[in-house]
Amino acid sequence: MTSRITRFLALFTALTLALSLITGCSQAKTDEATDAPGAVRDDLVLAIGGENESGYDPIIGWGRYGNPLFQSTLLKRDDGLNVVNDLATGYEVSDDGLTWTVSIRDDVLFHDGEPLTAGDVAFTFQTAKESGSVVDLGILASAKATDDTTVVFTLTEPRSTFLYQMVATGIVPEHAWGPEYAKNPIGSGPYRFVQWNQGQQLIVEANPQYHGGTPDIRRITFLFMDEDAAFAAAKAGEADVVSVPASFATQEVPGMRLAAVPSIDNRGIMFPFVPDEDKTTKDGYSIGNDVTADIAIRRAINIAVDRDALVEGVLEGFGSPAYSVSDNMPWWNPEVVFEDGDIETAKELLAAAGWKDESGDGILEKNGLEARFTLVYPASDLIRQSLALATSDQVRAIGIEMVPEGKSWDDIQTLMHSNAVLFGWGSHDPLEMYNLYSSMYAGVDWWNTGFYANPQVDEYMNEALATTDDEAANELWKKAQWDGTTGFSAKGDAPWAWLVNLDHCYFIAEGLDTGTQRIQPHGHGWPITANITDWRWK
Amino acid sequence: MGKFANRFVRKSIRLAALLVALCALSFWLVSISPIDPVQAYVGADAMLVSPDQRARIAEYWGLNEPPVERFARWFSAIAQGDLGTSMIYRQPVADVIAERFAASLALMGVAWTLSGMFGFALGVLAGYRRGTWIDRAVKWYSLTLASTPTFWLGLLLLIVFSVWLGLFPVGLETPAGVLAEDVTWAERVHHLILPALTLSILGVASIALHTRQKLIDVLESDYVLFARARGESEWDILRRHGLRNIALPAVTLQFASFSELFGGAVLAEQVFSYPGLGRATVQAGLRGDVPLLLGAVIFSALFVFAGNLIADLLYRVIDPRIRVGRVT
Amino acid sequence: MNETDALTLPRPRATMVPGLNRRRLTLLVIAVSMFVLAGIVVGGQLIADIRIDTHLELRNQAPSIQHPFGTDWLGRDMLTRTLRGLTTSLVVGVLAASLSALIALALGAAAATLGDAADTAISWLVDLFMSVPHLVALILISFAAGGGAKGVVIGVVLTHWPSLTRVVRAEIMSLRSSEFVQASRRLGRSRSWVARRHLLPHVIPQFIVGLILLFPHAILHEAAVTFLGFGLPPHKPSIGIILSEAMMHLSAGRWWLTLLPGLALLVIVRTFDILGDNIRALIDPRTAHE
Repeated sequence: MTSRITRFLALFTALTLALSLITGCSQAKTDEATDAPGAVRDDLVLAIGGENESGYDPIIGWGRYGNPLFQSTLLKRDDGLNVVNDLATGYEVSDDGLTWTVSIRDDVLFHDGEPLTAGDVAFTFQTAKESGSVVDLGILASAKATDDTTVVFTLTEPRSTFLYQMVATGIVPEHAWGPEYAKNPIGSGPYRFVQWNQGQQLIVEANPQYHGGTPDIRRITFLFMDEDAAFAAAKAGEADVVSVPASFATQEVPGMRLAAVPSIDNRGIMFPFVPDEDKTTKDGYSIGNDVTADIAIRRAINIAVDRDALVEGVLEGFGSPAYSVSDNMPWWNPEVVFEDGDIETAKELLAAAGWKDESGDGILEKNGLEARFTLVYPASDLIRQSLALATSDQVRAIGIEMVPEGKSWDDIQTLMHSNAVLFGWGSHDPLEMYNLYSSMYAGVDWWNTGFYANPQVDEYMNEALATTDDEAANELWKKAQWDGTTGFSAKGDAPWAWLVNLDHCYFIAEGLDTGTQRIQPHGHGWPITANITDWRWK
Repeated sequence: MGKFANRFVRKSIRLAALLVALCALSFWLVSISPIDPVQAYVGADAMLVSPDQRARIAEYWGLNEPPVERFARWFSAIAQGDLGTSMIYRQPVADVIAERFAASLALMGVAWTLSGMFGFALGVLAGYRRGTWIDRAVKWYSLTLASTPTFWLGLLLLIVFSVWLGLFPVGLETPAGVLAEDVTWAERVHHLILPALTLSILGVASIALHTRQKLIDVLESDYVLFARARGESEWDILRRHGLRNIALPAVTLQFASFSELFGGAVLAEQVFSYPGLGRATVQAGLRGDVPLLLGAVIFSALFVFAGNLIADLLYRVIDPRIRVGRVT
Repeated sequence: MNETDALTLPRPRATMVPGLNRRRLTLLVIAVSMFVLAGIVVGGQLIADIRIDTHLELRNQAPSIQHPFGTDWLGRDMLTRTLRGLTTSLVVGVLAASLSALIALALGAAAATLGDAADTAISWLVDLFMSVPHLVALILISFAAGGGAKGVVIGVVLTHWPSLTRVVRAEIMSLRSSEFVQASRRLGRSRSWVARRHLLPHVIPQFIVGLILLFPHAILHEAAVTFLGFGLPPHKPSIGIILSEAMMHLSAGRWWLTLLPGLALLVIVRTFDILGDNIRALIDPRTAHE
């Protein structure tokens, strides 16, 4: 009878062994060391997020924030954010602002060896326009190649910001573009696509034929992992550049230095601008909020919020106070900066507007309406959650109760027209400003969700779009923010309370020279790699 | 044996009926969900996706058809073994499950074996030394573990072994910069140790308590009294009567605990970013990957059923005297 | 731990303490357990809201006299958050377990008394709900409910009734075949009279014990599913939320965010367990006279 027990135990053991063999065998592979000792490295492992789930196709929006990497663009920015030629050798705008003629280089090859011609450029813009995707080319009437090196864009109306479309749109090859392109992109950029394991990593290799010179770094692996895991990878020396949230940036990592790159990646509170009049959007979501429709509330919050405390406390000092959607950009109006953290002034302003604490509960009322509203933030985002909680606590001091509610993006879409929302924006293109504040974009997608409208602002901005002169356009953008009497900044209608600009924090391996880093836009893609061709190991 | 085959057939029919009902129930549940799979799928990049693209995604996944038609289509497909395509992994669900389950199986297999052996040993020790401090310690330990949140224990192990001692990676699915197919066996084991340890520490509790009780029952039985009267030594009694009678229930209990094991694996995999089926299930739920979520539900049911079936068979094949019905 | 076993296995009894007999000791343990649970709920409400506000200047502080559980990255007092979180867990857990137990009572009684067809149907239903691991079922149900507290409660209710249903059914079955019930029936007592006078008084104590032993499971599952991101939203106080946030601060060495809230949860769950065992000891006819 004892043999039965032995049999059980044998069964137990055999099962275990079988399990480990089944799972072990299929996985056993050898690991080959690739680094020769002593040689200067020419590969790089980046854990900087930015995986684009829908792939790497500029036609459907890839590379518009940051840098498409695989593709080249007609124009690009230098380290000082000035617009310079990339594929283009020059462009001319007709006097009526409707015709843009761009000449391009004739020596550029796609990764598959085919030459890049004006036909590919025309194809890219034409297809992007027709795809009706995020690439907003509604004003483009046509894009035509007149010969191999000349493209003519015809617009339906003058648009100064068309320039930025040429910076943001990566050129795809007409002969190799199709539904599968996003998963296997071919372009003329500094790096070519090798492999993408979705959710894990992307591997790219230097393009030896790159028209800007072959990059020093031959092979780059992008790792896609959670922030905590990325930080752990940095500590373990498993990645060379790691982006981390500000809360990690105070840590020391042996063998790495911290780079805090300033950005206009901002966070702010969007207030519904109109009162609740039982209106709904075409999808049935309600519009308006009686509390935030009161300008005194919006201004008082703007004044009461202590932005420096937010930068210090939530961002650990890695950021700067934000006063607009476009701080320090050429079209930014410095007059919109004001003294904040001023509880007294905010209280006076509210009192003057008729807000009083009649019930004695610390929350103000006006005509029976309590100064209480919901502040929605995306539940998955720790920084936004922190900002929502911290600002709510700050404005309680002036008798306004913002109730923070973490929601999914799905829910936010249904709530964003009738509740304050903690959004983030920040672009190298003034068109973003137009989309956020123009009455044309009220209730359109994620743009002007609060239904802000000011005819004077609309007029300035439409004029800015229509002008062909860059400088004149910038002056008009500034006026739209604040012209001395009105504007969309906090001094004017204050439809937003901008809070902070984040610094993008990276741990960078000692010995890796990443060149001069630029002010980065809102975080999608890989803005840090904008100057990747300058990177080298020392 | 005819009776046995008969029973097997009846069990199979019952399983089939349960599975069909489970499919219908699960499908109904996901279809009433207010979570828009397109939005969940697009996630934080929502601002970069146009309505057109949304419509295309919806059409691609057949989200615009009425629920009944979708269920009919889906069910006839899964009946032929086609579980559909995962939205987040963009692979056939069957492939995702096969790949992920291999990883989970390694984790659960190790944890299951370890907890079985240690739990059994502890239970025997406690039962054999009933009433002593060893017994009390084992009891206290087991009952406390039964109340311990799996994920919390996992986090504590991470703090101690990964953050303080630096012995193990903090939540990296695979070693950084290495292609998935190039990961070595040793690296996988390295990533397996902590989650397996978490699961085994917790899995010990029920088996230890169960074994202890069974051993006490046996040692207080008439035939052990008789054996004592015959002058057999305590050790002989334990070996001849005790272990023999408690090993089978222990093994059976282990097989019957597949449900708990899987649940524990879901949490452990999440804490340790272990690329198993549990983590895939969580991702599927969070990101609205309906095909994968449904696939995972059905597969986990099959897994649990397999455990119960083995437990049932073990009971009958090896010891037909034991009454059926205790094990579920 | 296998739930059916948790409900049916005889548990080790409390050990003797000089000066107290078993019954007194049991009563004492019950009193202490209830005091601990009440203390948490009351304590969580008594602590001022201000301690849970953000105090950015006090962020990331290790445990101290002022903040025994430390503070989080927004300077919120972790003890307060933990107590509030435990209260949420208790409410959700008790609510869900109670609803679940009511289903179990109804179905268990139906299975035992309404004949073979009902018994077969109900046991099939039990099998159906036990066929999927609890956590997977919870994920599915939370997804169906669109997340939030509602999803967790429904999920816990729907996953926890089967085991108790079996207990209730088995108990009634054994009572029905017992001599005194058989005798009553032969004496011509109606079904409802038998149910009222014989079955209920015996089933209710078992049911209450089963209910109390469901609490810890419900609480643990609430925490687990919230931890995974399906349960309560992140600004609600909840142990699952606290621990999933703590996960983001592991590498930074902020151990107190993990250790103490989790320990508190463990204590609560264990207290319920002890409470259930001791109440069982008190009212179970098989051990009450020991």
